[in-house]
Amino acid sequence: MDRECVLLLPSVCEVLADSGRSVPDDTSLEKLLDWFTGLTEAGGSLLEACPCLLKFISTVVHNTASDPGVLSFTLRLTGLMAATEDGFKMLQEQSVLNQVFDLQHWQEAGLWDDPCLRIGWIQGLRSMLQHPKALSFFVQSDFIASLLQLQTDTSLFVASAANHMLAHILLFFQKVSSAGSNGINNKEEDERRIHHSVTDLESPAVTMETSEEYSAVVKGISEYLKESLIPKENTKLHQSLQILKLLALLLAQAGPPLRDKLLQTVTDSLEELVTAGCNQRVTRLLSSMLTISRPADLIHAAAALLSRGHHDTVHTARAVRILLLPLDIITGLTLLGTNTAADEHQVSVVEQLKSKTSCISMTCVCLTNTPQITLTPSGVLPCPPVLIVTAVVSLLRISSGISSSSFAGCSEVCRNVIGSGKVQKCALDALTALNSSPGAKEKISEVFTILIQYLNNPDSDPTVLHKSYQAFIKWIGVCTDLSLITDQLRQDLVEVVKKRACDMRWEVRDSTVEFLGHLAGVHVSVTSGEDLCDASEALLGGCCATPLLKEALQDTESYVRASAISALAKTLTHSWQQGAALTQDQTEIVSRLLEILSQDTEGFPRRAVVQYFISWFLSHSSLSPPSSSTPSTSFLMQCVRTVLSQGSADLDWEVKVHTLELAELLLDQAFSAHRGYRKGSDAHRALQHPYGVVSDQAYTLHTHPGTHTEGVQSELAHVVELGVFSALLSGLVDCDRPVGLKACRLLIILRETICPLSLGALDVTAAMATVSCELLGRGWGKEITKILGMESDRASEVDISAQRSFSGADGRGDSVTVSVCEVLRSLDLDERLDVLTQSSDHIHNSPLSLLQDILTASAAHTHPDTKPGHEVIVDCY
Amino acid sequence: MKLYCLSGHPTLPCNVLKFKSTTIMLDCGLDTTSVLNFLPLPLVHSPRLSKLPSWVSKDGTINLEKELKECAGRVFVDSQPEFCLPERELLDLSTIDVILISNYHCMMALPYITEHTGFTGTVYATEPTLQIGRLLMEELVNFMERVPKAQSATCWKNKEIQRMLPGPLKDAVDVWTWKRSYSMQEVNSALSKVQLVGYSQKVELFGAVQVSPLSSGYSLGSSNWIIQSHHEKVAYVSGSSLLTTHPQPMDQSSLKNSDVLILTGLTQMPTANPDGMLGEFCSNLAMTIRAGGNVLVPCYSSGVIYDLLECLYQFIESANLGTTPFYFISPVANSSLEFSQIFAEWLCHNKQSKVYLPEPPFPHAELIQTNKLKHYPSIHGDFSSEFRQPCVVFTGHPSLRFGDVVHFMELWGKSSLNTIIFTEPDFSYLDALAPYQPLAMKCVYCPIDTRLNFHQVSKLLKEVQPLHVVCPEQYTQPPLTQSHRSDLMLELQPPPMPYRRCSVLNLPFRRRYERVYILPELANSLVPSEIKPGVSMATVSAVLHSKDNKHTLQSVPKPPPAPPSKKRKRVMEEPPVVLAPKPLLSGAVPLEAFLVTLQKAEDTLIQLEEDGTHIVCDNNEPLRTTLRDLVLRFLQKL
Repeated sequence: MDRECVLLLPSVCEVLADSGRSVPDDTSLEKLLDWFTGLTEAGGSLLEACPCLLKFISTVVHNTASDPGVLSFTLRLTGLMAATEDGFKMLQEQSVLNQVFDLQHWQEAGLWDDPCLRIGWIQGLRSMLQHPKALSFFVQSDFIASLLQLQTDTSLFVASAANHMLAHILLFFQKVSSAGSNGINNKEEDERRIHHSVTDLESPAVTMETSEEYSAVVKGISEYLKESLIPKENTKLHQSLQILKLLALLLAQAGPPLRDKLLQTVTDSLEELVTAGCNQRVTRLLSSMLTISRPADLIHAAAALLSRGHHDTVHTARAVRILLLPLDIITGLTLLGTNTAADEHQVSVVEQLKSKTSCISMTCVCLTNTPQITLTPSGVLPCPPVLIVTAVVSLLRISSGISSSSFAGCSEVCRNVIGSGKVQKCALDALTALNSSPGAKEKISEVFTILIQYLNNPDSDPTVLHKSYQAFIKWIGVCTDLSLITDQLRQDLVEVVKKRACDMRWEVRDSTVEFLGHLAGVHVSVTSGEDLCDASEALLGGCCATPLLKEALQDTESYVRASAISALAKTLTHSWQQGAALTQDQTEIVSRLLEILSQDTEGFPRRAVVQYFISWFLSHSSLSPPSSSTPSTSFLMQCVRTVLSQGSADLDWEVKVHTLELAELLLDQAFSAHRGYRKGSDAHRALQHPYGVVSDQAYTLHTHPGTHTEGVQSELAHVVELGVFSALLSGLVDCDRPVGLKACRLLIILRETICPLSLGALDVTAAMATVSCELLGRGWGKEITKILGMESDRASEVDISAQRSFSGADGRGDSVTVSVCEVLRSLDLDERLDVLTQSSDHIHNSPLSLLQDILTASAAHTHPDTKPGHEVIVDCY
Repeated sequence: MKLYCLSGHPTLPCNVLKFKSTTIMLDCGLDTTSVLNFLPLPLVHSPRLSKLPSWVSKDGTINLEKELKECAGRVFVDSQPEFCLPERELLDLSTIDVILISNYHCMMALPYITEHTGFTGTVYATEPTLQIGRLLMEELVNFMERVPKAQSATCWKNKEIQRMLPGPLKDAVDVWTWKRSYSMQEVNSALSKVQLVGYSQKVELFGAVQVSPLSSGYSLGSSNWIIQSHHEKVAYVSGSSLLTTHPQPMDQSSLKNSDVLILTGLTQMPTANPDGMLGEFCSNLAMTIRAGGNVLVPCYSSGVIYDLLECLYQFIESANLGTTPFYFISPVANSSLEFSQIFAEWLCHNKQSKVYLPEPPFPHAELIQTNKLKHYPSIHGDFSSEFRQPCVVFTGHPSLRFGDVVHFMELWGKSSLNTIIFTEPDFSYLDALAPYQPLAMKCVYCPIDTRLNFHQVSKLLKEVQPLHVVCPEQYTQPPLTQSHRSDLMLELQPPPMPYRRCSVLNLPFRRRYERVYILPELANSLVPSEIKPGVSMATVSAVLHSKDNKHTLQSVPKPPPAPPSKKRKRVMEEPPVVLAPKPLLSGAVPLEAFLVTLQKAEDTLIQLEEDGTHIVCDNNEPLRTTLRDLVLRFLQKL
C-alpha cells in the first residue's frame, strides 16, 4: 500500500467514526470499500497494513448514533477483513466479530429497520463466508434463521441480497463439504475465491465438523425452500416466485449431491405448485413447456425449445410444426402437409390470429425462427426448406397488399398483417437469413422480384427499405448465375435505386448509397462458370452507380455524404486493383473529396475521405511497386500529401487518427523491407470504424529491393517530404489522447527503424542525420520546438543545422529546420507513451485522492465559522 | 325522413335530405370524369390532334366524321367537353330550401342546380369554400371559353348509334343529360345565393331544424354538417381528413350521438398513403430534374398544391434543386396563392400562429419572393419570355382535356427525359393519357388523397357511434381491382345502408316526439304532485299555439282577477304551515298503465257542428258509446 495512504488512513477513519462529520458523497464509501477489496485481492492483509481499522470498527459499532451508511460500510469492511482465515482469527480474538454481526444489538438500537444496515449485514457475512471457520461461526451464531427471514424482506434489494447469500452458502460450501467427505479436490474454482481463502481447500482445514455444519445448513435451507415454495395465501405469490428463481439459480450450479438433495426435498412442493394452479404465472411457464392451450404461449414455448437446440426429434418436430402453423395459415401454403385440419391447435391459432396484436407477435416469432427451422434435419421438417422460403416471400406479398392469401377463410387474419411494418421487418430479416437454406437458389428470381417491389413501395418505411437492401445483398451473394435475373428485374432495380437515391428521407438515401457500395463489393459471375465481376457492374450496368454516388457527395446530410464516399471507394476498388488509368470522372471525384476534407462542416464525411484515400492507397500499393511513377501513382501521392497535411490539422480527432493510419501505411510501405522495422499495424490495429472502407482482404506491400542505408535514407527523405513526419509530430502534441498515442507509437517505431538507440547502428544514424524537416513557428511546430527546448539560444545545442527564416508579413513566425533523427531522439517518446497509455482519469481515481477528498469534505463541514447544526448555505445565482 | 341520391360518385356527392318539412341538398358535386371521352382542347393549333382520323364503324355504316376521332385505338368525341350533372329528374329542384356545401370541390355543379331550375333557396358555405370555389369555377369557365369550339356533337348520343360505339363511350350513362360548361354570368348568379357561415355557427331553418358546419380537416374551409331538430340528429360527413395538413383539424366530437350519419367523400386511393405518395412525388421530381428532364404536374389550382409546394420548399434544398424554376400556370394562380395566405382562421394551429409573428402561413410566399416559384395566368404573355428548362410546371386541368396542361403534353410528350406526375386522384391516369398516346414521356402516378381511409373511418365510427350509417354502395365492398382487400371496405354493425345514383332511401328512424314550450306564467301556475319518487304530475289547461314549427302552450286567458279577500289576507298572516300540495286528483293513479294509455295512438274525432255532433272512433265502439253518452249528459246539463 501507498505510504501516503497509510499515513492518511487514520485521520480518515477518525472522520468516518465521528458521527458529527459527514462524508463527501455516497459513492466515496463504496470507492473506499472497492479499494480495500482490491488490496485484499492483491493478497495483502488489511489488518497488518492498517491496524487503525480495528479501532475504527469497534468505535463505530459502539456508537449507535453513527450514520447508517457508515455502519453498513463497517459491517462490510469487517466481513472483508474476516474473509481470510488469519483475519478471521484475529477479529474473533478481539471479539469484534460477535459485536459487529450481533443482530440483537442492532435491533435494540433500532437500526435494524434501516435496509441499508440489513444489506451491510448480509454482504458482510457473505464476504466473510469464504472458509469453513466462518461457516462454523455462522452456524453457531444461528444466523441461518435470520437469513431465511430476510428472504422475504420488504426491501427488494435486501431480499435479493439474502437470496444470493443463500445460494452462495449452498454452492460455495458444497465443494468444501465434498472435499471433506470424498477428498476430491475441485479445481474449477474462480480466481476470486482463491484469492479470498488464504488457506486453500487442499489444506487440511476441512474437518468433519464443517461437513456436519454444512449438512445442517443444507437441511435447514431445503426445508425452508420446501415450505415456502407453496404460498400459504395469494398475497405471498411473489415469495414463491422468489424461491423459484433461487431454485433455478441453485439447480443450474449445484453439483450432484447437493442437486439431488435439493430436488428430493422440493419435488413434492413443485408438483403441488404446478397442479394446484395457485400461481398463474408459474403454471403458465411450466405448462407452456409441456402441453399448452394458449397458442401465443405455445409459439413462444416452441421457439424456446427450438433455440435451446434440443436434439430430441419428437419434440423438435412438434415445435417446428407449431412454429410453422401461423405461416401456414396466413399464406395458405401447405407447409404442414395436407392434414393440417388434424392439427389440434389449428382452430385456436386461427382464432388468435384474428386479433391484431397477437397476430403480429405470433407471426414475428414464427418468422424469426424460420432460418433455424430450415436447418433442422429433413426428417423433422414437415416440408422441403424451399417451401419455407416461398412462404416468407408470400407473406411479404400479403403484407404489402400485393396479393391475397390462397387460404380462403382468413381475410380477417390477412388484414392484420397488411401494412404491418413489424411483420415486414421480421419477414425481411428472415428472408435475409434464409439465403443459405437448401434449395434457396431456385427462388432467387422470386425473391428479387418481391424485394424490388418493396423497394419501390411508397409506403415502405426507411427500416424496411434498409432491410430490403440487406436482403438483396445477401441473396446476390448466393446467386451463382446472374442470368437468373431477367432484364426486366435489372431495369426495375436501376429505376428504383435511382428513385431512392432522391428520396426525401435521408435514411433512405443513406441506405441506398450504402447498398451501392455493398453491391460493388459482391463478386458474382454473369453466367455460370464465367469470370467474376462485381455485382454493381453486372446488375446496374456500371453506368448507374458512380453518377448516383457522385450526386450523393453533394447531399445535405453528412451521413449520406460519408456513405457515398465509402461506397465510391468500394465501387472503384476494382479498377484501382487492376491498375486502370484514372478516368476524368475519378479525377473529379478526387477533387471533390479533397474539397470535402478541407471544407465540410461535419466530421463523418471528412473521416470517410481519409478512409477513401487509405483504401485507394492500399489497392494501389498492392498492385504496383511504390517507386513506379505512372501518372496515377504521382496523382495518388500528390493527394496523399494533401490528405496528410489537411487531415492532421483537422478538428475531428477521428479524422486525425485516420490520417495517422494513412501515415502508418506510408511508413509500412517505405520501411517494411528494413530489418529493424516492425509494423505498427501488427500490434495495434485500430478498431474498424463503421465507415471504414479498408478492404477485408489481406494486403501485401511490395518490398523495396534496397535494404541499404542509402535506400532507407532516401525512403525517409521521401516520407518526410510527403508530410508523414509532420503529421506524426502534430499528432504527438495533439490534445486528443488517441491521436497522441497513435502518433507516439508510430514515432517510436520510426525511431527504432532509422536511429535505434543501440550502439551498433550508429553508422546508420550518421547517414540519417542529414534528413531534416521544417518546424513552423506556430501551432504544433511551436509545441515541438518547446518540447525540444529549442527556444531562443538553446536551439543550437540540439540542432546543428538549425536555420531560421523569418517572414513577418503573414505572421507565420519563425520556422526551424531540424534533423529528423535528432528530433526523434530528443523527444522523450517513451515517457510520453507511458503518460498517454494511462487513462485520462487515472489521477482522480487514486485511493490517495479519495482519502484526501474525504478529509477535505469533512474539513469543509467542520469549518470553525459554521455553527453546529447549520448547513453552509451556498448562494446560487 | 328520406334521402334522395342524385349522384353516384362517392366523392362528388349530391344528396337531398327531406327532414321535418325541410328539403336540404347536401353538396352538389360535378362529375367531370365524362370529359375523358372528349378530345383535348389545345391552346395553340396542334397538327397532331387536327390530323386524327375519324372513326368509322367496322361495317362502315356509321360515319360521324365530324364528331368522333380515333387515337391510339380509342374513340374520342371532338367537341367541347361536357360534364355529367347530378340527377335532375328524381325530384323537383325548385322545392329545395337550402343547399349545404362541404368543400369547394363539391360545389362545382352549383350553377346547374340554382340557375334555370326555379331554385329560390339559400346556399350555405364557409368563406374559403365560396372564394376558392369561385376560383375553380372561374378557371373552368376560362379554360373552356379561351378555346371556343363552335361544334357541339350530339349525333353520337343517339341511343342506336351509341350502342354501336366501342370502348367506354358505349357504356357511358345518361349521355343526353351531359352539359357543357356554365358561363361566368351563371357562376356569379349562383354564388350570389351563398350565405356565409362559420364553424359551429348554428343556422335555424324555418324553426324546424338547425344546421351547423364543423371543421372537417380536408381543405381550407371544408366542413361536415350537423342537421338536428330537438330530438333527431343527422350528421353529414363529406371529404374529411385526420392528417396534419394545412386546414384546421377535423372536429370529431360534435358528430357523436347522431341518429343517422351520411358518410361520403372517403379517400379514392385507399391503398396510397399520402405520405408515401408525397415522398414518391419528390423523388421522381428530383430524379427527372437531375437527368435534365422537365416535370409536369397536372393539378387543381387549390388544395393539394399548397402541400406540394410546402413539401418542395423543404425538399429542394436537400435535393440540390435550388436553381430549378417552378412554374404555376393557371388563370387563378395568383389569387389562389394569395387567398391561401389570408384565411388564417381556417388554418391549422401551426399556421395560424405564424400569422401573429407575423409571417405568411404558407412557405410558398418565400418561394415566390426568392423567385423559385413563378406564377402566370397562362402560357401566353410573360411566361414565354421567362420560360427556362429544365423546370417543374404545375398546371390544370388534371383531366388533361383542357387548360394549359394540354400544351405541355404536346410539348414534352415526345421526350423520355420528361416526366408527368399525377397527384390528383380524381382521374384515372391511363384514361387521361389516352389521347396523347403513343407517349415517350415517363408517367408517375402518385395520387395524394388526404381524405379518410377505411381504417380511419372505422375508428371514427367506433368513436362517434351513430345509430345508422348511410354511404355510397362503393364503400360496402372491396374495390373492384383489389377484391382480396377485405380491409378496404366498411364493415359495421348494423350494416351501412348503401345508396347509388337515383336511390331514394327511407331513413330508418321515425319522429317520435315534438318539443312544446310552456310559457313561464303557465308553468308557474302548475302545481305538480309527486306520484312516484322523482315523477310529478300536474294537469294543464292551456292553449296550444303553433307558429313557424314552434309549439307553445299559453295560459287560458283569465277572467279579471278578483280583489283580494280579507279571508285570504288573514291566511297569509297566520304562521306558515307547510302542507303537502293537495293532490288534484283523488285516489291513486296507476302510473305505468296511465302512461301506456296516453301513448296509445287512437284517433278519435269529435266534430261539433251547429246542427249535429259526430263522434268518429277507429274500430272502438265502446269508446264511441261512452263518449256519446258523456256528450249527451253534458248537453242535457246545459
